[in-house]
Amino acid sequence: MSTGYETGTLGSIAGLARTRAADGGSTYLGLRPRFIAIGLAGGLLSGLLGVGGGIVMVPLLVLWTAYRQRDAHAISLGAIIPISCASVITFGAAGQVRPFDALALAAGSIAGARVGAGALSRIEERPLKLVFGLFLAAVAVLMLVRS
Amino acid sequence: MNGMALIAALVGFGVVTGAASGLLGVGGGTLMVPFLTLAAGLSQHAAEATSLLVVLPTAIVASLVLRRRGVGDLGLALRFGALGAVGGVLGALLALALPGHVLRLVFACFLLLVSVRLVRDSLFER
Repeated sequence: MSTGYETGTLGSIAGLARTRAADGGSTYLGLRPRFIAIGLAGGLLSGLLGVGGGIVMVPLLVLWTAYRQRDAHAISLGAIIPISCASVITFGAAGQVRPFDALALAAGSIAGARVGAGALSRIEERPLKLVFGLFLAAVAVLMLVRS
Repeated sequence: MNGMALIAALVGFGVVTGAASGLLGVGGGTLMVPFLTLAAGLSQHAAEATSLLVVLPTAIVASLVLRRRGVGDLGLALRFGALGAVGGVLGALLALALPGHVLRLVFACFLLLVSVRLVRDSLFER
């Protein structure tokens, strides 16, 4: 017998993936419904707008979850790994990649990433909000100018 | 730019982008694509494809550092990102059918509102 709301194929699939979290709330494949919404929306918007996932995900995480700014940035960085893997597979195969430019940039950015991530783990919440807010404002102005 | 100067500029810009991306929690494509088109002379498509290849190792290194420091939740982030990848494919397909400039306009306004709120919170709250 059905439990009432898990009807149809979609309901059955969701039911299979559903587990109980420690506090009694439902999770699907270990994710809260709100995270599923933000994950899908973040990917959808970044695909639609041609911007990186981080610019979409960090604001959504900060506004709609209880995560602090610092953790939202860290989760966004981790989420970029599978997202950029998928993009490299779909777009990178088109043969437009310039390997030497990528190698030189990556050599620098790997060193820079250690510095930036180290700074993220130490910075106070308020200056981080300020820096990220100003960065978003700059990106928004650039988008407005171009569109 | 000659060969050596270009390589030095790319590595130097990489350091700046990597540091910004580790701190801001973004991939860095927003910074790299304009640099690659304007300074290194790549086409828009080549710049986008090339920057994607740099974003991946940058995000991996930053995530490993943050995991060691106990910031965020990498397991959650990876599952979350897998959904984002699915959404990204849908978004790219939808983008072909929807007016891109209108969407960008709406989203830019959303970003402006968020940035005002973040700056206000950081300056005036408690």
